[in-house]
Amino acid sequence: MKHLGTIIGTAIAGIFVMSVWGAFAEAYGIGGGWFAGLIIIGTMWFLNHAVGIINNDGAFVDMAAGIGMAGTMRDVFLHGGEAFTSSLPTLIVVLLGGITGGFAAVKLEQYLAKKEAKEEKAEA
Amino acid sequence: MTFQNMVATFSGAFIFPFLIRMLWGKMCESWGNIGGWVAAGFIVGTAWTLNHGVGMMFQTGGAWIDMAWAAGIGLFVASVASGDSLSKGLSNYFFALVGGTLGGFILSCFM
Repeated sequence: MKHLGTIIGTAIAGIFVMSVWGAFAEAYGIGGGWFAGLIIIGTMWFLNHAVGIINNDGAFVDMAAGIGMAGTMRDVFLHGGEAFTSSLPTLIVVLLGGITGGFAAVKLEQYLAKKEAKEEKAEA
Repeated sequence: MTFQNMVATFSGAFIFPFLIRMLWGKMCESWGNIGGWVAAGFIVGTAWTLNHGVGMMFQTGGAWIDMAWAAGIGLFVASVASGDSLSKGLSNYFFALVGGTLGGFILSCFM
């Protein structure tokens, strides 16, 4: 049951992002794309992470993992495996950038927490 | 993919999970669930305008690589680095990818 929630939640989020978002951007330009982020991610975040149908009893799995997969697999189902191999360089660079960004954020988070604790100690 | 494309794509992928990890939790802490909606607009919406709206992320091929890939892996790595369980997380990550594949298949049925 817990994994069923993850599958349904990421599938729905992926379907919305990879169809409706582009339509908003096409119809209203860059403002439409921004607005699509607000309504789609807002609602899907509420479902997946606030209500919480994605099972998260370990290292945090964001709905984004499923959303990225949905966009890529949509094109693989439509155009075949060659579409995937031609996109592989982008995917690799994007994953490396994401890993670096997440890691840097944690390091800064830990630094800030340490600094705050030190300041509190100094005040007390 | 030129060197310039790689630098831009890498940087765009760095920025997105970085902003989410640094800001999203604080917004929810300050404003409750409404903070999640604020974050959706001001983090995801704004990062979208950068990465896909003006095109910081270069696409080499026929399958769309969304900035969501960066957020998914970046937030996962961040969580592992801060001490959460990798093995439990990996099985959940796997099922998220299964859900994404299902979503992608359903999309291919009508697009």
